[in-house]
Amino acid sequence: MRKLWLVAKREYLVRVRTRAFLISTVSLPLITLAILFLSLALARSPQDHPLKIALLDDAGELAGSVAKRLSGKLPDGRPAFDVTRTINQPGQPAKARDELRAELRRGQLDAYLVIPHDVLQGKAGEFYAKDPGDGAVTAPLRRALTEAVVARRLEQSGVHVDDLPKLLRSVDLTLVRVTGQGEAEEKGQTYLLAMALATVLYVTLLTYGIATMRSILEEKATRIVEILVASIRPSQLLAGKIVGVAGVGLTQFLIWVLTAAALGAYGSAITKAVQPQARPVQFHLPLSLLGYLVVFFLGGYLLYAALYAAVGAVVSSEEDAQQMQWPVTFLVILAFVPFGTILHDPNSPAAIVLSLIPFFTPILMFLRIALEPPPFWQIALSIGLLALAIFGLIRFAGKVYRVGVLMYGKRPSLIEIFRWMKYS
Amino acid sequence: MDAVLLEGVSKYYNSVTAVNHLDLRVGEGSLYGLLGPNGAGKTTTLRMMMRVLVPDQGTVHIFGEPICDRVQDLTGYLPEERGLYPRMKVREVLRFLAALKGVAEGEANRRARQWLERLELAEWGEKKVIDLSKGMQQKVQFIAAVLHQPRLLILDEPFSGLDPLNAQVLKDIMLEMRQHGTTLILSTHRMEQVEMMCDFICLIHQGSKVLEGELAAIKRSYGKNTLRIQYSGNGDFLNLSALIESTNHYGAMVEARLRPGADPQEILKRAVECGARITRFELIEPPLNDIFIEKVSKADA
Repeated sequence: MRKLWLVAKREYLVRVRTRAFLISTVSLPLITLAILFLSLALARSPQDHPLKIALLDDAGELAGSVAKRLSGKLPDGRPAFDVTRTINQPGQPAKARDELRAELRRGQLDAYLVIPHDVLQGKAGEFYAKDPGDGAVTAPLRRALTEAVVARRLEQSGVHVDDLPKLLRSVDLTLVRVTGQGEAEEKGQTYLLAMALATVLYVTLLTYGIATMRSILEEKATRIVEILVASIRPSQLLAGKIVGVAGVGLTQFLIWVLTAAALGAYGSAITKAVQPQARPVQFHLPLSLLGYLVVFFLGGYLLYAALYAAVGAVVSSEEDAQQMQWPVTFLVILAFVPFGTILHDPNSPAAIVLSLIPFFTPILMFLRIALEPPPFWQIALSIGLLALAIFGLIRFAGKVYRVGVLMYGKRPSLIEIFRWMKYS
Repeated sequence: MDAVLLEGVSKYYNSVTAVNHLDLRVGEGSLYGLLGPNGAGKTTTLRMMMRVLVPDQGTVHIFGEPICDRVQDLTGYLPEERGLYPRMKVREVLRFLAALKGVAEGEANRRARQWLERLELAEWGEKKVIDLSKGMQQKVQFIAAVLHQPRLLILDEPFSGLDPLNAQVLKDIMLEMRQHGTTLILSTHRMEQVEMMCDFICLIHQGSKVLEGELAAIKRSYGKNTLRIQYSGNGDFLNLSALIESTNHYGAMVEARLRPGADPQEILKRAVECGARITRFELIEPPLNDIFIEKVSKADA
């Protein structure tokens, strides 16, 4: 036991003290923050001056109504819209449009709105500007035009309404996710978060699984394994290695989890500092989800580390390792294939069955939990099956390791590997 | 007490018998030479003493106990294929390997410093292993094998790759350790080293024992039947097939095996008659080299 711990400690320290570990640990939170800042910075800067807008009214007597309703104000008190001109039913509409376009290009106008003559019948208004996609501008315009048109329609029907804006105010919809356990208000980022976390899980599983394989390969290639095996049982050596590398992965996860927690607490403060106008970004990471992330990382790592360890024990060169690790890596990648199905319906029979297969459990069961927590018995069952698979695979890896670790040279065939299992 | 006792030990690889019902006894405190041609099973045998390999048949006892975890801590191993962690610092590797054998960190540090100084590697303690030359790495490897002060030290081809200076240093250390009571088992091809150092030898061929015993006694059993002659000029005198069974030429030197009953003085007389200038003429027991070759060829026949 003590010797197992010595090996684990060495594997841990040798990795944690490298620059590579620092870089890979720091890069995830850094990239996340960078994306956050970038999206905030690139978001359109809010309006800082009244929009000079002209109205071309082909329908007749609507422009005034629209202008009246463009009463929004900027944060500093000035009006958001400055209607510089109104052209009412021009005799030569094409010429009028050309004029407006020219003024727009010259900078005398920021934008102009064309109200078509059949707008009351449902024809769309036309908004011309250098940046017509700015929602902060089009939303109030749309609202103003809608109210003006609806008011006119009501008048024509004989109905006179006083406070049209209040009557027309749109109704918001609160999204509530109903689960087996209860209800939780939908924050809207669930899909993205689930995908992101599942990807993080996938990348780390591969990274640390392959790290285990490399460690074994290095000891074989440098031949130091001979003196190691003369000092410690091969099974303890393998176990120590797996524990040590798992420790490195857990450390990294811990750092990420703490960063996520910090962002959750201070995220709004940070976004306020960068873009005071923007809506604060919400980070919603429930503690239980993070807990499951750690559990499935550990389980997944142990499972795949056993497989990768077997590969490392069997081969003798980097080239052979590159070839033989593919079946295992492929198994991890395969877990991504059902993503679409699970995203669409996390509780379909297919999703349930797939997430119970030990090789897919770490990624798929976690994905399901992130999207829509399944009944606990399913989670418990998947973890149980995973544990069994881990147990079996580690025993298998141990046997292969015992014999293979001293075999240098030609890559053994599958039949030979089976014979090794009988040896041990 | 026997340091090592192998009884009926066998090891098979697929259809090949690497070691065949081997009985071996190494007394405590002796310097034991394990000899044999390539592929004879020497390394396999040594690995079984270290529990790097487990015998398919037979038993291994170290210091009277069947081999176990505790006993592994008493043994030091310098394998034929050398290697350490290339990117670790020298002192760290030594500390780690010593810890695996049960040495506390502080003590390991102290001993490592002493050994590094002794082998003139003092300034390399904090360097990465890969920054050292091959010869220096081998020295570090040796330190790793002895840092925990083993009672039994097993060395597989320890002199391979060493220049004469370092080989000398190694030899002196080995003899010094033997004097302090350490049992040493040495596997090598270099017969001259064996002849100068070993008390006991065991010659293995194709997994079986061909010869075993006290080196001095073995040589004595052959009697002084070899002439070591250093000469220049006419070498015709060596063609006396009536007196000389075989010759082994080493450039300026020749070792001639005498036929039973041959009188070496006859050969000396002939040599002078031929006009050869003799600078050395020595009657000796057969060199281990010859015994080796003879036994192995006989076993092959």
